[in-house]
This record gives sequence, C-alpha cells and structure tokens, in this order.
Amino acid sequence: MATLSINNVRKQYGSVEVLKGIDLDLTDGEFLVLLGPSGCGKSTLLNMIAGLETISAGEIRIDQRVVNEVHPKDRDIAMVFQSYALYPNMTVARNIGFSLEMRGQAKAEREGAIRRVARLLQIEHLLDRKPAQLSGGQRQRVAMGRALVRDPKVFLFDEPLSNLDAKLRVDMRTEIKKLHQRLGTTVVYVTHDQIEAMTLASRIAIMKEGVVQQFAPPQEVYERPANMYVASFIGSPTMNFVRGTLSAEGDRLGVSVGRERSGFLPLFQAPEQAGHWLGQEVILGIRPEAITCYDPAIAAGNPALVKVACGVNVLEPTGADTITYVELNGHEVVARIKPSDRVAEGATADFMIDMARANLFDPKTEQRI
Amino acid sequence: MSSLTSALPPAQGTGARVARWGLYLILLLFAAYYLLPLLLMITTSFKSPEEIRTGSLLSLPRDFSLDAWSYAWNRACIGADCRGMAPYFLNSIVIVVPAVVISTIFGALNGYALTKWRFRGANIVFGMILFGSFLPSQVILLPMAQTLGALGLAGSAGGLILVHVVYGLAFTTLFFRNYYVSIPDDLVKAATIDGAGFFQIFTKIMLPLSLPILVVTIIWQFTQIWNDFLFGASFAAGGAQPVTVALNNLVNTTTGVKQYNVDMAAAMIAGLPTLVVYVLAGKYFIRGLTAGSVKG
Repeated sequence: MATLSINNVRKQYGSVEVLKGIDLDLTDGEFLVLLGPSGCGKSTLLNMIAGLETISAGEIRIDQRVVNEVHPKDRDIAMVFQSYALYPNMTVARNIGFSLEMRGQAKAEREGAIRRVARLLQIEHLLDRKPAQLSGGQRQRVAMGRALVRDPKVFLFDEPLSNLDAKLRVDMRTEIKKLHQRLGTTVVYVTHDQIEAMTLASRIAIMKEGVVQQFAPPQEVYERPANMYVASFIGSPTMNFVRGTLSAEGDRLGVSVGRERSGFLPLFQAPEQAGHWLGQEVILGIRPEAITCYDPAIAAGNPALVKVACGVNVLEPTGADTITYVELNGHEVVARIKPSDRVAEGATADFMIDMARANLFDPKTEQRI
Repeated sequence: MSSLTSALPPAQGTGARVARWGLYLILLLFAAYYLLPLLLMITTSFKSPEEIRTGSLLSLPRDFSLDAWSYAWNRACIGADCRGMAPYFLNSIVIVVPAVVISTIFGALNGYALTKWRFRGANIVFGMILFGSFLPSQVILLPMAQTLGALGLAGSAGGLILVHVVYGLAFTTLFFRNYYVSIPDDLVKAATIDGAGFFQIFTKIMLPLSLPILVVTIIWQFTQIWNDFLFGASFAAGGAQPVTVALNNLVNTTTGVKQYNVDMAAAMIAGLPTLVVYVLAGKYFIRGLTAGSVKG
C-alpha cells in the first residue's frame, strides 16, 4: 500500500511529445483509472510507472521515493497485461511463483504464497496446468494471481479485461472491485471503456493527446465535466450539446435556444462567471436522463424543472429505458424516458428538463463555464 | 500444369483419371531420378570388384559383402595414410559438434537481443548480419586465412570451428530473430517486472519456447558444416581434415584398379550422419519452418 505521485511527467519519442506534463497524486489505497482513446498516452504513462519506459522529464514517486531511475523489479509494483503475458512453458503454479523464484525465496515459502493466492482467486484446481490449457477467464485470473502473490505497493492493470467476452468482462470487473476492497492496495488501471472506469475508479483521469483533461471522482466527472471532450466521452447515449445564447429574462439568467420565446431555458444555479457571457453564444450540455416526460406532480416540487413541448422523432427501446429523440426548438436531443411514459413517434408532448444538471460550455475553447 | 492441378480434387470422368495417373507417373519418374544414384551407391558398395566389372550397373549384389565398407572405414589409403576414413570421420565430429553448438547458442542470443532488447541501430546491425548470409564462401577464403594465421589457428580443428561459427552466425541469427519476433514482448516485460534479468529471461522463458527453431537451426548448421568441403580443404591441414576432404582424396588418389565399391562405401559413410539427422528430426524441421507463420 502506498501513495503515488506523478509530477509534470513528460515523454518524448524524438521530436514527438506523447505525454505533455502529467500531474496526478494518489493517496494510499486509491483506484485510479486512466481513461482515453487509443493513442492518448495512457499505456505509455502506465509503462513509465512500471519502469518499462524511461521518463523524459518530471518525476514519479511511489511512497515518497523517486523511482525514475529504479529498475522495475525494485519498484515494488506488479502489472497485469492485456495479453496476460503468461509464460507458456510454465505451469500455473510456477507462473504465479516466478517473481518469488527470481527473488530467491525458498520453495516451501513460495508454495505457501502460491496456494494463498490461488485460494483467493479460486484457481487452486488449475495449478498444475499450462496456460494453453486454460480458458480466457482462467488466464485472466492467473495473470492477477501473478500480480497478487508479491503483495506489491501498487498494482498496474493494462486493459486487463478487453480480451474477454462481454459477460465475463462484467463478472471480472466486479471481482476486481471486490479484490480492491479486500486488499486496499493502490491501483492504476488503464482502459478505454468508460463503464469500467465509472464502476471501478475512486478517481478517473481522462486523457487526450497526452494531456489529462480532468482528474476527479467518477460522479464528478459525470456530472460536472471539465470540457466537452470529457462530457462526450463519458455517458451513453452521450450528453446533448445545444447551441444557444445566454440571455436574461427578468432577473433570471437562461439559455435561449432557437428563435421562439418558448426556447428560453432558465438556469437553476447560474455559474458565477455566467454574467460575462450575457448575449453571447454558449453551448448547453444536458444528459439524456435530465430530460424526462412532464409530470406536474414532480415539476411542482422542483423549481429546477423546466417544461418544454417537443416533437418526438424516433424511439429506441433498450428495455430498462426508452431512448427518445426529440426536437427541442430545432435541435434534436436525446432523452432517456421510462418505458411506461413512452410517447408515440411523430406526436408532440410535454417534457421537462432538469436545469440543475445542465452544463454550460464555451463554444470556442469547449471548456466548462 | 494448370489442367492437371485443376483436375486434382475429386477425380471424375476418364479424362480426369488419365490426368491423375499421368501426374503419378511424372512424380514416379522424378522420384526414380533422385533415388537411382543412391540405389546405385548402396548396391555398388555391397558388391565385390569382380561383380562390378562383370555385372550390370543397376543389378542387386549377388554376394552381399561388407568388405568395401570395412576397408573404406579403416584400411583405405588417403594420400599416404592408410588408416581409412575413421580418423577423418572423427575429425568431422570434433569440428561439427562444437561449431553447431556455439553458432546456435550465439544465434539464439543474437536473435533474442535483436528482438527483445531493441537498441538504437538494432535494425542496421541485423541488416549487416543478414548480409553475411548472402556472402559467397569463396569471398572470405583469403581474409579468413590471414585471420587464422594471425590468431595462430591455421590448419587446426579450432580454426575450422571458428570459421564455421562465424560464417554460420548470419544464418542462425536470422532464424532465431525471425522466430523471436513472433513471441510477444509482453512476456519479457512481465519477466522484467518479476525480477528476471537478461540471461534469466533467455534461459527460463525464451529457450524453452524455442524447440522448433532450435531443431531447424541444428539440422541446418549440422548439414552445412558436415557437408562443407571448401573451408575444410582450405583451412585444415593433413591430420585435421574433415571427412569430406578425406573422401575427395580417397577417390582421387587410388592407383591401379579403381575400387568403385570402396569409393561408394566411403561416400555413404561421409553422407550418413546428415541422413540420420534428417530422419530423426525431420518432422520437427518441417514444423519449425512453418512455426510462427500460423498463430497457434
């Protein structure tokens, strides 16, 4: 268990800068997820924490110790690879115990440690098999066992679930979460899957082109995204972006969408800087679940809810919700509606928007206002 | 040709059947063409000189005799030395075994370093090593003779071992490098984190995965070095000569009546080890050549 701090870390390959100054600080026992599309530098960063790539500038500390020049084996970390990287010529038991073998631990001690980990992961019956005789999920467990056996200060996971089928992926995700709760070890986990990031992380660092876009707990990333990139990367269906003008009606600030007067959507808690934007174009970001069918009983008790009349274009039932594409003053937006509230396609109905959950973005910089 | 191959799958109709038998006939002819010399050598080596002179070239031996073999093995005169092929056979073994082992080990190490510990200019180094496999052996005769002289290894078995190791490295490196490219880098990364060093990763992870390419390399190097005549004739003096050079001297220096049966027996003796290696390890050879081309 340990803290991990990454200070202004950069990586250059020749003249190409892959990581442009990363700053992240983890407290003991945190679960950090590095999230981003391929090529954003998240795996490079993980490899640098592991010591498999050199650090061009900046420093990485594990438990206060600068590890820039420390060999991977002396950093007290363990890593689970996307390909699992099990040694094909060794049995499961030897795979798990290899790091102890390399550290010159006595055989009896090693076997005790292997058995303890195998019991934890429920792979005791597989110890004598070779990796080729295992299924994907079993290989995944062995790879985790290999990381667990040494009781490292930091666990590194490099997209560990992306080679599994959908069902197994969900199961293993839960299992990783349980394991983390039980062991309380600091974890750095790389993925491009936003659901994995949301479910596992204590904090998410969303990366794009070598820059951290936002570093915050999952719920905050979801509710208060730092910019439009983060907002659109997390959540499915993605956040609605509606262009409008920041205007005032009476003493209330709001966003005017389209030409009609009915297009005025008053902000519930306008951001402090919003006054500077009066009369200028802004982008209003609304999550699909913030748009629901109008219910007078609910609307009466919540002043943040704004009633709007919208035409319904398309319905996409997903079972739990019905994804509804509606026309909001000339802009198509997506709403997440309860199946019981569904409106016929082509009809016009009253909807309500929860403006307390609305976000405002600068159309030029795409940053949050 | 195209009509033949297109008729291959299910043979239907007379035309297709004729084509198929025609194909078999051609294959048989080719097989006979390659097997006849071997048959001739084997039968002749078991005949007496009398029978060779009177009988037909291709007939089987009437009186089966091992005399020619034992004569070739330890009595035939090679130059002025009448101890037969045996000492030279031993020379070849003394040269081939260390040369094969050393060149294979270093080829494996080279391939491992070139693929898994990539350094600046690794590709250029590999390109230069690869170039070595295109060098005709005649080109290196003079510089190598000078080098061996300077090292004090001229005319010795040690010198010949060095020549074969150096010349073989280009090939062994190529084999192992291409094999190791297909082994995932993650294995090396995982082992590095687990605390294994350069040689530990090599011996504990890479080598155990290398059996197919090891067999290919050993067979290749064994046949190349065992069958080598040019280097043996150029760099080995008198008593250190390999079996191929001895065979040449035996066949060329016979006086009086040509003892074809002894010549043939000596040639068989010189050629047998490579045949044995192929028979024993041939299936691994084929497997190794195609390994890596198909992901298991």
